[in-house]
Amino acid sequence: MRKLAELLPLQFRVLYRQFLLRVVDLEALSVHADIPRFLGQFASVLIFISVIGAIGPIMSHEALRAAPEAALSFAWRGEQSLISGMMLVVGLIAVICWDSTFPDRRDVMVLSPLPVAPHMILLAKVAASAALLGLAIVTLNFATGIAWPLLLGSQHDSNWGFFQSLAAYWFTMIAASVFLFCSVLTVQGFTALLLPRRLFLRLSAILQIAAFGLFLGVYFLQPSIPSLPEMAAPENHCFLAWSPSFWFFALFNQLNGSLPADLGWIASRAWIGLGIVVSGATASLLLCYLRTMKKTVEEPDLVPGARGWHWTPRFGSALQTAIVLFSFRSMTRSRQHRLASAFYLALVFSIALSWLRSDLSSAWPRPLTPEFLIPTFMMMSFAVFGLRGVFSLPISLTANWVWRLTQLRAPEEYIAATRRFLFYFAVIPVWLISALQSLSFTPRHHVAAHLAVLALVGWILAELSLLGFYKVPFTCSYLPGKVHAQVMIGVFLILALAVALSLAELEMLAFNDPFRYVCMIGILGAAALGLCALNRHRAKSAVLYFEELSPEAITTLGLVWLPPSGSRAGPSVRPHN
Amino acid sequence: MLELRSVSKHFSGIPAVDDVSFSARPGEVTGYLGPNGSGKSTTMKMITGLIEMTSGHIFFQGKPIQDDLISYKRRMGYVPEEPYLYTHLSGAEYLTMVAQLRNLPARESSERIDGLLRLLTLYDDRHASISGYSKGMRQKVLIAAALMHNPELVLLDEPFSGLDVGSALVLRSLIQELAARGKVVLFSSHELDTVERVCSRVIILHRGKLVADDSIANLRSLMELPTLEQIFSQLVVEQNTESMARQIADLIHA
Repeated sequence: MRKLAELLPLQFRVLYRQFLLRVVDLEALSVHADIPRFLGQFASVLIFISVIGAIGPIMSHEALRAAPEAALSFAWRGEQSLISGMMLVVGLIAVICWDSTFPDRRDVMVLSPLPVAPHMILLAKVAASAALLGLAIVTLNFATGIAWPLLLGSQHDSNWGFFQSLAAYWFTMIAASVFLFCSVLTVQGFTALLLPRRLFLRLSAILQIAAFGLFLGVYFLQPSIPSLPEMAAPENHCFLAWSPSFWFFALFNQLNGSLPADLGWIASRAWIGLGIVVSGATASLLLCYLRTMKKTVEEPDLVPGARGWHWTPRFGSALQTAIVLFSFRSMTRSRQHRLASAFYLALVFSIALSWLRSDLSSAWPRPLTPEFLIPTFMMMSFAVFGLRGVFSLPISLTANWVWRLTQLRAPEEYIAATRRFLFYFAVIPVWLISALQSLSFTPRHHVAAHLAVLALVGWILAELSLLGFYKVPFTCSYLPGKVHAQVMIGVFLILALAVALSLAELEMLAFNDPFRYVCMIGILGAAALGLCALNRHRAKSAVLYFEELSPEAITTLGLVWLPPSGSRAGPSVRPHN
Repeated sequence: MLELRSVSKHFSGIPAVDDVSFSARPGEVTGYLGPNGSGKSTTMKMITGLIEMTSGHIFFQGKPIQDDLISYKRRMGYVPEEPYLYTHLSGAEYLTMVAQLRNLPARESSERIDGLLRLLTLYDDRHASISGYSKGMRQKVLIAAALMHNPELVLLDEPFSGLDVGSALVLRSLIQELAARGKVVLFSSHELDTVERVCSRVIILHRGKLVADDSIANLRSLMELPTLEQIFSQLVVEQNTESMARQIADLIHA
């Protein structure tokens, strides 16, 4: 393998290695980020998901053999879920790697003066993106890619059924991933080509978030089609004609030999779509490397700010306003922070969207049940702890000196400002979303009672996330490669769910017993006040901590310098500065 | 008056600044010179309170700065050597944030920020992101941030870095004007010509130690050298510059 790699041009190998590490631009998160390790953790999370997804077909393999009808229905739902899940993961990767396949200003300025041909940069970038995509495809289908073909192969009459299903499965997954990734590249490429660069730079950030919302929205709002007759029903044809995940679902069945001939047109859409986006991505990439690189150098560095009215709201005192605005701007203007917060917001919105879907499909008003209560607590925990997680990522450690130089007030005022930020951008928005969604539930006084509990839970969570946090948001360091992400996420999910379940159960009991409800509100209120008082008290004696790059340390390495042979002088120690 | 008494800073036991004592008086510009790695920026950071001294004392207006660091910070303005800024903010946003952190009244600070941005020719680009600013523009943002609260002590670490000729001339006059208005100005630079024109006194540091502290006129007559550049070369430049240049040219030619 190593010898094979050595056959590739040296320039390609050097660039590929650099671009692979930069494909997910994590170095901005931390000066010491261990990117290969982070990619390893990312892969292990996907493998974990794949193993979970493979349990179903393995456990039910024998039972389903005895009941082919049930097996077909089970497989039908499973295939749809796997394909849409794969497309969601690739969509999220495309969002995370936004713009990384195209040449950026840094590449142009560093590589243009060097004797490196643009096609070499293009090939290395495409190879780096393909490597990440390949890693995602292989790891996400690590177990399901065997388990499902085993189940589906058993439905075939021939002995080669497993191999046919295996080939169909992997081809479909790769094709669906390539389709989605190339669609994103095509949109980005042609936007870059058609728009002036300044406008493109502004629009690119909006497109990135729009794509993120689109992928999540489609995944959570797209209805499933549980059986073949429903798929063949004429009223579903319009939806199927415009749903790429169903095109690839049909393609899989076509390759597997299980698609009725009259539905072949859906699979044809997958082939046509794939052809269009691959050609589009190739053309836009080639044109970008031929045109955009030159354009990037010619364009002035300074992008003028938005014209018009520049109004900034006040969020309390001058210090509180400064910290809230700084945090909000850091969260929204930096690509890394925007994506990190989008990840947590995605969890909140996915809960809200699935809820909306069930709202739309059921009669109004509905009786209040734990099914309404649990998601609101989950949303609140994801929003508060998510925001707390995001502001642990530094925006620019080197610029933190300004906070230290202007630290003219007590630490508790800084912590109060951080609390305010958590309230404005996590607790209050989630509470408002919950209040809006609660309009479809009755009785109204129970809904109002729940919203009061939710507000207190939000306050408690905000105070909990401030325990021991004596910093300004976005000024501290975080090491993504040092954290066991899969363990942390798993533990957090289990804890959040357990707390939400218990709270919902207690709340349902309290709704029918005013005394119990008053006790519940009293305990939650006391907990919130107690935590708030504790945080304020501890903040009084706290020392505000602004993380910066390591101080310039002059370290003696203790290297022994040996004089050239022939010299009689003995070895001496030469300090290396 | 700013006064340093036997100030030292050691990094892992190795002295970066070693037993340095000097004072900078109001009404005069004190130049702080030295080659790369001599400890100038380390001293500046100790004076701002960004790094702690290993030993020694720093006094401002007769009081140790550590006694009431907050009150000291209110009266001090600092232009760092490197233009490290939050580049995701616009120039106006950054200055507004600094004004809010300094607790300046909103109306007053807004007027000052607008005025400074106009005078420093940044007004048209005030809403553009700092990430797109040139080095000179970033330097102007730092200068505005350091002066907007009318500090009594002005610490300038390589303030001319990246500035165009026009802006450099304005800054040169501004430094003299600030001193004339009774402020303590400590000015570190590698531009000896500017230092010679602007400063009344110079302090020269070499390998962390003070090697000269006098007025430029006194140094000239003591060392019998006509320019500050020659005085500086005599005190701190150890290698034969012409010979070194020749060696470099020979190396790349070979």
